[in-house]
Amino acid sequence: MLNDLRLAFRSLVKTPGFTLVATITVALAIGANTAVFSLVNALLVRPLPYQAPNELVLLWEKFCGQGLDVIPVSAPEYLDYEKQTSSFTGIAAFDYADLNLTGGEIAERIQGAVVSPSLFTVLGIQPIRGRVFSPNEFGEGNDGVIVMSERLWQRRFNSDPQILGKAVALNGRNFTVVGIMPARFEFPIPLFNIQGGNFAGQVDIWKPIAFTKNDLESRGSRSYGVIARLKPGVTMQQAQAEIDAINAGWITKFPDNYSPQTRFGASLYSLHEQVIGGMRTALWILLGAVALVLLIACANLTTMLLARAGGREREFAIRVALGASRMRLLRQMLSESVLLAIVGGAAGTLLAVWGLDLLRTLGAHTVPRIAGANLDIRVLLVMLVVSVGTGILFGLVPALASGNPELTEALKEGGRGATSGVRRNRIRNALVVAEVALALVLLISAGLLMKSFVRLQQVYPGFNPRNVLTMELSLPQLKYPRGKPVIDFYAEVERRVARIPGVQHVALTSIIPLSGSNSDSSFHIEGRPEKQTNVFPDEEIRIISPDYFRVLETPLIKGRYFTEADNADAPGVVIINQAMAKKYWPGEDAVGKRINFNDEDPKKIAWFTVVGIVGDIRHRGLDAQAKPEYYLTHPQRPFRGMILAVRSLQDPRALVSSIRGELQAFDPEQPLANIKTLEQVTAESIAPRRLSTVLLGLFALVALVLASVGIYGVMSFLVTQRTHEIGVRMALGAQRADVLRLVISQAGLLIGAGTVIGLLAALLSTSVLRSALYDVSRLDLSTFVLVTFALALVALIASYVPARRATRADPMIALGRG
Amino acid sequence: MSDPLIELKHVERVYPLAKQQFFYVLRDINLKVEEGDFVSVMGPSGAGKSTLLHLLGMHDFGWTGEYFLSDAAIHQLKPKERTSLRNEQIGFVFQNYNLLDDLTVYENLDIPLSYRRYSKSERTSLVADTLDRFSIVGKKDLYPRQLSGGQQQLVSIARAIIAKPKLILADEPTGNLHSSQADDIMQLFKKLNGEGITIIQVTHSEINAAHGNRVIQLRDGWIVK
Repeated sequence: MLNDLRLAFRSLVKTPGFTLVATITVALAIGANTAVFSLVNALLVRPLPYQAPNELVLLWEKFCGQGLDVIPVSAPEYLDYEKQTSSFTGIAAFDYADLNLTGGEIAERIQGAVVSPSLFTVLGIQPIRGRVFSPNEFGEGNDGVIVMSERLWQRRFNSDPQILGKAVALNGRNFTVVGIMPARFEFPIPLFNIQGGNFAGQVDIWKPIAFTKNDLESRGSRSYGVIARLKPGVTMQQAQAEIDAINAGWITKFPDNYSPQTRFGASLYSLHEQVIGGMRTALWILLGAVALVLLIACANLTTMLLARAGGREREFAIRVALGASRMRLLRQMLSESVLLAIVGGAAGTLLAVWGLDLLRTLGAHTVPRIAGANLDIRVLLVMLVVSVGTGILFGLVPALASGNPELTEALKEGGRGATSGVRRNRIRNALVVAEVALALVLLISAGLLMKSFVRLQQVYPGFNPRNVLTMELSLPQLKYPRGKPVIDFYAEVERRVARIPGVQHVALTSIIPLSGSNSDSSFHIEGRPEKQTNVFPDEEIRIISPDYFRVLETPLIKGRYFTEADNADAPGVVIINQAMAKKYWPGEDAVGKRINFNDEDPKKIAWFTVVGIVGDIRHRGLDAQAKPEYYLTHPQRPFRGMILAVRSLQDPRALVSSIRGELQAFDPEQPLANIKTLEQVTAESIAPRRLSTVLLGLFALVALVLASVGIYGVMSFLVTQRTHEIGVRMALGAQRADVLRLVISQAGLLIGAGTVIGLLAALLSTSVLRSALYDVSRLDLSTFVLVTFALALVALIASYVPARRATRADPMIALGRG
Repeated sequence: MSDPLIELKHVERVYPLAKQQFFYVLRDINLKVEEGDFVSVMGPSGAGKSTLLHLLGMHDFGWTGEYFLSDAAIHQLKPKERTSLRNEQIGFVFQNYNLLDDLTVYENLDIPLSYRRYSKSERTSLVADTLDRFSIVGKKDLYPRQLSGGQQQLVSIARAIIAKPKLILADEPTGNLHSSQADDIMQLFKKLNGEGITIIQVTHSEINAAHGNRVIQLRDGWIVK
């Protein structure tokens, strides 16, 4: 075997041109496969970084009657689950929390999480230093401790070995550090359940949940995720049945909270599914695409090796005459192809390292767990197997075609193996047809995705994202309790930022469109009979300041925008979008209608009058129709965590330092976080699509190049093979145009056959793209026609070059060779 | 009298033509070759000389009739058994030498042994002996293109006998050589024949044929003498 490999190496070195082209071909295909498989490995295969992650489940509630399918749970509900379930070894609640870390040179926004003490036990992760929370470190007044990540400990505290027991100032309050979690620990983990979801950064500080009295009394205030570990032997179905029984009990016990019309319930989901479920289709499409690229590369290499084998027929005949068995010849041929595949595979792996860097950059913040996409031992082993398998695949046909040479002819002086030559030509032609067909499938798929992406980019989102800067602020409760201090702070922020030169409009909002964050709230419409059924409408809600729609340039359809006069003491006002007006007041004028939120205590009812209707904003994604939304003004519903949105006359990024300066001047402890332009936010909302489109486009391009090289190679070989015939034809009076027609028509026949098969295959295969397409049919005629035409053109150009060479054949030389 | 090394009975080689017509390359060949014979097959171009040689060498299986080699009925053997017998008993020498261009002289000699599953040590010893016997030790690391035609044919003959065959089949072994080189090769064949190896050569040369002890004349596929 070693001897075969040594001879194969020598044989390949002797033909550097062939070896280089073949290696590049393998490298491109294996590189693409390695990169995509690394993604699949990181996202679908590699277990989540917790103990026995397949036992972990998430619990989300639902009110199907109100169209709410996946919503968090409230404090009382969580405590009930904790007490009443027996299917789990542990259950924990969690929520993201924005924490302002002060006490150092600069205030810094840290991504934090509030968690129940049981979380770390449920996940089965130990701290590298100190301890996790004890069961009594839970609830208001018992939450003065934190656990921090190894990352933060190293970065902000310079790996201080004395950190445990020290106090750290967060949101204006001191917390004692009790533990350090390992760098690999990540929780909450981004969940891919929001289209275009933009994930919070990695959590660096965990603190115990401090349920307030208010939290504990409100079953309807839902903001906590719930994670649990199934007991050994308990199935998801059994646990679900237990949850259903608990929910049924609540419906009886708390009829006001869970009226039958809302169809309340809760569902368990595998944690792994929730983390990667949304990426599965895209990954399979990409895996399919790179598999096609690999097949095209194999077809290409097979045709190249067939041509090479044709030139070595005499050598194989001699070997057989000297005693080589068919198996031995097969082994020798396969040694060459496998060696080529391994060398190409190694080069491809290097390409993949570079490609993965690119993928991680493109997918950061938008594709969960993409940071972990790297070349681990599993990827390398799989790619070694794929490379060797590829080598065998593309080497087998030429090896089989050459393993039984026509000895009598081949061993004669100047003899040729005519029979195997015909067989090889047939195989070669079939492979070119296959290459064209496969490339066409890939190109059409890429074309459809590109058209879809272009359409998506052209969608009017309901606002103008140009020249708008956004940044998050989160006020600590201690320093800014509810009400006036919060209103005053943000009013001052708006006032100061508005006077910065270049600022056109300033506004605040609780949520910016397309950011992946969302908030909804139920309400009651004056005069509607919801009170009897207890099914209240529930729609998306935003808290904004008066100039918000001017910053976004969202058109006012009717009525008015909020004004400064709509303050805390003024009558309640609400602005709704067109979708909401259409849904709740069809055929009526919504302006002047009233809604309220406080339905439990009739004495406290505060009515909000609809004062304006604005255009729809696509909040959940450019590809998702706008949902009904309503807007309240900040002074009437003050929020501590707001997003500052600034419309500028020029590039808004130039304003960052001025805005930071203004903020520092009146409260240096308030850090700005997530500073992004609205264009960036919009672009990130379609980043997963962009990633798929760019990758598929890239793979289609590689396929096109490979197919063209294949066609070029085969036509060159055929032209060389027909030199004698062409010489005879020219000697008999054929003109250059006749020769050109002869060769091009042969290529055209192959390309035509490939195109027809490719079109049929594309008609069937593009159905897998259906869910990934926006506003483009999977059978989009213009894409099919354009791509087919482009491929045929490129293929014909690839065959034109050898055809031109054929027309330059000198009849004397050509005939002399015969 | 012992059995002949080779016996052909009513052997025919036919190629089908269009419209149920046939082209006979060899017709009713009956031939005995005794062990130790040095036979020269002669005849004009197209007489069927090379076809007969390839038939004897079991490169061609498309014939009819009976073929016995060392008592083995070749016509009854399966392809694998024929290959095995060929590897055991026959060595080939070609007009155009058919050395493998990418292998050195040493490797060209080694290759028939490697195909016959000789051990590494046996191969080393046999190749060394053969290089020595043919006085080409100094050329063992050279490639065929670095040798003259005569030297290449010398290596080719060395390669043919290295696995100790009973029979050498040579297809115009001196066809590409000038007369002095051709004489050297014929002397070598005579020497090998003297050592007990049966030789059948196809040749156009009366001089070369004179080195053998028997001449077979072929014409239009028939043995005429």
